[in-house]
Amino acid sequence: MEILREKPSRNPKEVLTFAALVLLASVTLLTTAGIVLSLFGEVLQFFRRVPLAEFLLARDWTPLFAEPRYGISPLIAGTFLVTAIGLVVAIPLGLALAVYIAEYARGEAKARIKGTLELFEGIPTVVFGFFALLTVTPLLQKVIPGLNIFNALSAGLVLGFVILPYVANVAADAMESVPRSIREAAYALGARPYEVALRVVFPAALSGIVAAIILAASRAIGETMLVSIAAGQRPILTLDPRETIATMTSYIVQAATGDQPVGSTAYYALFAVGFTLFLLTLLFNILAQWVVERYRERYE
Amino acid sequence: MSSWQQTFGVDPWKDRVDRAFARALVLPLLLALALLAWLLGDTLYRSVSVQVLKADEGPGKTYAFGLSANEILRQELLARGYTEEEVQSALGDPRERRVLLMQNRVELMWNTHEGPFRYVVTGLRDERIADFSLLEGLRRWQELKANLKEGERLVLNPWLDQSFLTRVPSRSPLTAGIGTAIWGTVWVLGLALLIAIPVGIGTAILLEEYVREGRLNRILEVNLRNLAGVPSIVYGLLGLALFVRGMGLGPTILPAAMTLALLGIPVIVVTAREALRAVPESLRLAAFALGATRRQVAFRVVFPAALPGMVTGVILSAARLIGEAAPLLLVGAAAYVPFLPNSPLSEYTVIPVQIYLWVGMNLPEFARVAAAGILVMLLVLSVLYFLALYLRNRFRREW
Amino acid sequence: MNALDFLKDHETIRTDPVPEAEALVDVRHLNLWYGKAQALFGISVRFPRNQVTAIIGPSGCGKSTLLRSLNRMNDLIPGVRVEGEVLYEGINIYDPQVDPVAVRRHIGMVFQKPNPFPKTIFENVAFGLRLMGVKGSELEDRVVEALKRAALWNEVKDRFKKESGLRLSGGQQQRLCIARAIAVEPPLLLMDEPTSALDPIATQAIEDLILELKEHYTVVIVTHNMQQASRISDRTLFMHLGVLVEEGPTELMFTKPKHPYTEAYITGRFG
Repeated sequence: MEILREKPSRNPKEVLTFAALVLLASVTLLTTAGIVLSLFGEVLQFFRRVPLAEFLLARDWTPLFAEPRYGISPLIAGTFLVTAIGLVVAIPLGLALAVYIAEYARGEAKARIKGTLELFEGIPTVVFGFFALLTVTPLLQKVIPGLNIFNALSAGLVLGFVILPYVANVAADAMESVPRSIREAAYALGARPYEVALRVVFPAALSGIVAAIILAASRAIGETMLVSIAAGQRPILTLDPRETIATMTSYIVQAATGDQPVGSTAYYALFAVGFTLFLLTLLFNILAQWVVERYRERYE
Repeated sequence: MSSWQQTFGVDPWKDRVDRAFARALVLPLLLALALLAWLLGDTLYRSVSVQVLKADEGPGKTYAFGLSANEILRQELLARGYTEEEVQSALGDPRERRVLLMQNRVELMWNTHEGPFRYVVTGLRDERIADFSLLEGLRRWQELKANLKEGERLVLNPWLDQSFLTRVPSRSPLTAGIGTAIWGTVWVLGLALLIAIPVGIGTAILLEEYVREGRLNRILEVNLRNLAGVPSIVYGLLGLALFVRGMGLGPTILPAAMTLALLGIPVIVVTAREALRAVPESLRLAAFALGATRRQVAFRVVFPAALPGMVTGVILSAARLIGEAAPLLLVGAAAYVPFLPNSPLSEYTVIPVQIYLWVGMNLPEFARVAAAGILVMLLVLSVLYFLALYLRNRFRREW
Repeated sequence: MNALDFLKDHETIRTDPVPEAEALVDVRHLNLWYGKAQALFGISVRFPRNQVTAIIGPSGCGKSTLLRSLNRMNDLIPGVRVEGEVLYEGINIYDPQVDPVAVRRHIGMVFQKPNPFPKTIFENVAFGLRLMGVKGSELEDRVVEALKRAALWNEVKDRFKKESGLRLSGGQQQRLCIARAIAVEPPLLLMDEPTSALDPIATQAIEDLILELKEHYTVVIVTHNMQQASRISDRTLFMHLGVLVEEGPTELMFTKPKHPYTEAYITGRFG
């Protein structure tokens, strides 16, 4: 019975392979550490020069002026303005599509719709920016007087379509995970398909749907190319969608493509804005996970 | 109404609501598809224009279809007043010939005042007299043709043509090309995948085949989920602070590839895990029952079975990465690079960034150059998508 | 008093118990938990060499769990805890010094649903041999030998190097899995309801095969089909709720069951 005394699991090859895999996987942990540390180091430099109170409370973002001011509020306002417009488009359309995918589409049709959404998601946002700036804006200008060439409205509308597949997919997944038995119970009570969809499945999947919206919002906040191209790069504190604005992301692009001397306050400001953006999206993601965990219906 | 009808009869109003509801739900899809069609059509339309061009040097001739680039250059140079010997020596020297081709774009026009499908040589300093959209240009074709002055050419210009693909960027939209950006994308994406594929697939194998639960699994899972939610531009900041400045690599290909790799890893992990999960548990059990170790189960049974799925996933992830402009803008892609990159420490630009730069240019024709660039990028993406789709269907397995 | 409380301290009824010398496997006081739920209760039983032992019982009675604890397949399920001993040729396979992988290399197993690898027929059978480091012409000879013993050779001999194992019919696939298991010449072959996914004709072929395999191997088979147990096995174990209720020669079990539960199950009154 010599074979039973062998130790194939403790063969050096086994141990080395496991170690190698753990090493590879640790790259993902190092990435997070790298993001946090690299941002944090530069952000500390920034707050050594600019008081936190100014960053949070001042109403101007003018790093390049002779007397620079570093108040993040115009960038936050710009970001939320564009995101809000995007969500106004994406929520109704995305949820309607999600209901269709989860409740009506069958087999082939469902696969084809999902494939189309995948295709849509795969289009680089720089293309949507081009489209928003050169096609949508001139069209809107004919309808809306006083619309700037670079404006939050056009960028937000197109952004809505960019995040639409995301809302639709995640919300559809949530609705599809509602067990069949619950639908059948409703049908057995004489409910019609639309009643089942709206009164049974939709409420049952609500936590997942809310999470889908939060995640889509987080994605919209982080979207860069579309807003830098179409919404402009002028940080002013306004909620007028016709205005040229700057979002956090578009400021980062603007600052990074212009040459900021390393060590200047403007250079560190780049990271302060980036860190704010990082925290905000992280917060949204955690919020989405919390909503799913906290309000999940437990079946069985 | 009899009682059975009250109980079982069709309620026409509710029926109508039902059907209208189902139909209304498809609207967003149609809207999205319409937008997509509009975007594509618009880009295509923008990528063609009718132009009146004035030659800076020489009479501004057009050349017949079928001539070689060499022959066209020869005739053009002769027409500009160079002697036969000068022309011969210029074309004979490969370096001089390349400079000539950089400064003079030999372009096949769909139509010209001298007839359809003729070559035009556009010089760096040639002047654009007028630029019309396709429909207006065609409508006014005869009028424009009649008013042509000395040295002017009327052309129907498809901005996306062969020379566009090979040329370097230029200050003039007439001679701008996407060649450097294509090579930049190839370099950056290739190196990024070289890093991201082993890390992504290794992580997926660890999570699916070694530690399906426990603390290591939880830490990695939570971390990956959060990484997937980090905006891509934040990765750019990481690359800028850590690779470009911290490691002193400068605004070159290598830090860009590293940045893009980090961005791609979570995506590849997700797709690779899906592929691994699609391998039925019964195969793992069969291998374990034969006395395979974890490594042997993972690498001799599960990995080969999941390989087609993983390849598909990697291709789709690569397609996502190609379109990423934001993080690369921060690590040096916004540079004006008039030469092809030739090492990981070359300066570079990539296709989406090049498009972004063109969109931001003041001259209206740069919108046409950008449209041509977008078409190139969408073409590359569709090739990748169809490849992925083909592989997915080709290797679909019934277990 | 519910059935489990009634059975928990039950002393297994044994007819013609297997003498220690004849046993290939000797299970002693085996308890097994999935997390907090106990699945096997103090099982003691001996499996005699070169005989077919069937394990029967209603679903959820722990018969597959017992089978899987004979080659430590249960170790793959997180949260499993085992107490007691399984002596194989006198060695306790649950000894901390024993590597479960080595145990599984030595003991063959066939599953409920045929599960060939998505590889050629040849590579399927060669898999276990390759793990043991068998190469070259010896590898080839032993693959052919295994296919012959599994009564599959005649059907696949002209294509076994090219065709995928997945292209075979269900019954052929199961015989391929048997060939794969016996290629490494395991003295003990464990079969977990090997015919439950097959049609009657394929089932017949597998049953014939098991009777032939008896010559070389010791077979333990879990089955929910009592006719099958009576046709192919020499001894039968009846389990209920994780307890080994009764064991003995198959003929006696089926004609003169001693425990009321055994009788009820065999006559089809529950299960």
